[in-house]
Amino acid sequence: MGRSDDSPGRPGDDPLPWSEEQVESLAPSASMMSAARQLATPTRWRSTGADERGVWGTVQGSGREPYETVVDHIDVVTRCTCPSRRLPCKHALALLLLFARGQIATGAPSRRTRTWLDRRQADAQPSVDDAPTGDQGSGEGSDDATGDPNDASPPDLPPRDEWDRARNERVESMSGALIELDRWLEDRLRTGLADPSLADYATWDQLAARLVDGRAGSLANRVRRLAGRVGIDADWQPQMLEELGVLHLLAQAGQRLRELPGPLADAVATTIGWQVRTADVLAGVPETDHWFVAGRSDAREDRLEVRRYWLYGTESQRWALILSFAAYQQSLEHTFEVGDTVHVDLHRYPGGALRALVGRRHDGADDLPGAGNEEAPGPRPVFGSVADAVAGVGALLASQPWLDRVPMLLRATVAQDRTRRMLTDSDGSVALNVPPTAGRGVGPWTSLIAVSGGAPVDIAAEWTPEGVIPLAVHLAHRSHDLGRRADASFVV
Amino acid sequence: MTDSAIPPHDGDLGGRWETLVTVALLGTDRRDPPAGTTVIDELVDDTQRARPAARLLAQAAAVTAARRAGARPGAPGAPFVPPPPDHRPACPSAATDRWRHVVAVWPVLEDEWLAAVIAGGWRIDPVLVPALLLRHQRDMARLALVDVAAGPLARWLVDVDDELGDALGARLERITPGSTPLALPSLPIPDALERWREHELATVTGNLLAGLRSGQLAASHRTVLVNLVARLTPDVDGLRHLVDALSRLDPLDPAVSLATALADLAATRASMLDELGPTTAVTPAR
Repeated sequence: MGRSDDSPGRPGDDPLPWSEEQVESLAPSASMMSAARQLATPTRWRSTGADERGVWGTVQGSGREPYETVVDHIDVVTRCTCPSRRLPCKHALALLLLFARGQIATGAPSRRTRTWLDRRQADAQPSVDDAPTGDQGSGEGSDDATGDPNDASPPDLPPRDEWDRARNERVESMSGALIELDRWLEDRLRTGLADPSLADYATWDQLAARLVDGRAGSLANRVRRLAGRVGIDADWQPQMLEELGVLHLLAQAGQRLRELPGPLADAVATTIGWQVRTADVLAGVPETDHWFVAGRSDAREDRLEVRRYWLYGTESQRWALILSFAAYQQSLEHTFEVGDTVHVDLHRYPGGALRALVGRRHDGADDLPGAGNEEAPGPRPVFGSVADAVAGVGALLASQPWLDRVPMLLRATVAQDRTRRMLTDSDGSVALNVPPTAGRGVGPWTSLIAVSGGAPVDIAAEWTPEGVIPLAVHLAHRSHDLGRRADASFVV
Repeated sequence: MTDSAIPPHDGDLGGRWETLVTVALLGTDRRDPPAGTTVIDELVDDTQRARPAARLLAQAAAVTAARRAGARPGAPGAPFVPPPPDHRPACPSAATDRWRHVVAVWPVLEDEWLAAVIAGGWRIDPVLVPALLLRHQRDMARLALVDVAAGPLARWLVDVDDELGDALGARLERITPGSTPLALPSLPIPDALERWREHELATVTGNLLAGLRSGQLAASHRTVLVNLVARLTPDVDGLRHLVDALSRLDPLDPAVSLATALADLAATRASMLDELGPTTAVTPAR
């Protein structure tokens, strides 16, 4: 991972800047480069400096402590205290951009930075003739944790300094937890799903605690939810086996992150629980679209209410998920009104995730809740057949088999036979997961029948392994939000 | 959806799944996972998986992923036969939202809301019909109002939806069509206040303000004053004038809290009557 021989800045020279094109060639992706450009503003950086070997600085991220970034601009190796697994990270790229623009003055590094740069120089010296040239530094080799092109097997190498140590410890901790998860899964299948220990919450809770310790919090939540399914109905054991299989899939994939393609690795990592800072997500390339607010649902997960808004890009025809969380007596997101179309930027989480954050709004006050629901509905998507909707769900599940909720739009009629409540058209049906309310108010099934009046209607729904849950009915001039609402005594 | 899945490329995937479930129930200590030459076997063929439980997990993961991603629609169902058409327009969404406010805060207005829907030539928004049926399932007079205001949808819903059918039974059948009185039930109002209703709203407004300012009307009279405001002449402009007047009471006046509540009631009623005024193109219900 070195620069081309005709590049400026050889040892002993003044720290001459690179070109922006050279910096761009290092970026793992266009989105990373875009994010880096937003960070490449001198006012965002502190303690910057450059010498004949390195360029360094600190930048405030979303955490309390600023990220410390150093780039060896001779061998093009980077160090950053940010949690990004993609190297060079956007902070290193931004620092290099500032360097390329001549916006970083020559200076003396801190002792820690000096030590690292000296070690870099010492490491590089024996193999300098073998160092790859040209733009190879931006290739696959840059995905490893140390950023060194000679580190073909990063987990086998000891961490080079305290910065890497923290990140590597996190990866190792996660891998350890995933190995334990897999052992635990095997134990469950060795003794069988009829084993009474499955009904003991401690069986699950100890595993969940271990996963939390191993920084695999999302999997811990998944395990806790699964614990609640033991004995819940007559069909719980096949469903349990499905979920154990999905957990195994994630445990295996999580142990092979470095072997997976970048976006897939990102998707697996975030599904397992790798934390991504909000600021880092918002620094990504936005998807600007007229987003149709297709549906909303609230779900209690452990001690939190989780609100999901499913947004559908009327131009991109892509789905996005906006999540909000509320603990007791906190409030959930109320930004959107089901049936509205909002012109906003969405920033996706890594790996082409469904989950996204809302960025810039392009039509101001018109996007406020309730605006335009009846008067100016805005662009709306096409609601396809049942077969189209099922195919769309299948495509998403094929790319991310661990998804436990997948949105769908369809035009269908309600129907019922002796065993199933369903949405149907002339060619096919999907079974609904709308259990009876047992006298507790009006459920989504009854609302769906009432609003549709037995006629075909446009429906937004959510696929789950247990069946399809209707979220909203979109009539020509009015949308009805049928999704479950959080307990009013829990959230404000 | 998984249950109705017809997996692609491997017609025996459903059978394989059943076998996996059986082995999982018994445990691999008692029974080995299946083996064969299917796509799934090739996919999980891995010499490192020496342990039977690991092989079972790998197969469960692969079959689950394949069944979920490869699911196809189930057989079409027979849709419900729709109810007879009701040509009245559904009441505006603002009126639907108003009903929710009425039920939550001013249930004294509920009868008038239903009567206004009927008199205005509207029908209840279908999304509200189940809630209204359940709310008044034990009150035959109000259930009769709902029956008229909801139109044919009410009886159809009770017929096709098991949950509503169980709750209401045959109560709707006992209502004779055309027998529903639209007159509002009387509310307890003392004679002294009852006589105010003979006057124009402007006069009532003046009397009310004078009583509140003098202390003759206080929080202890809240119930009867609520009943009075709920039964004043249904004059939207007059009610809005009452709202303005009550809102101008001195914030330090001891009766300001009562005045604020009455203003909200009057404002709710005025908006309700405004929203449910006669439709411009009313076609009688069939």
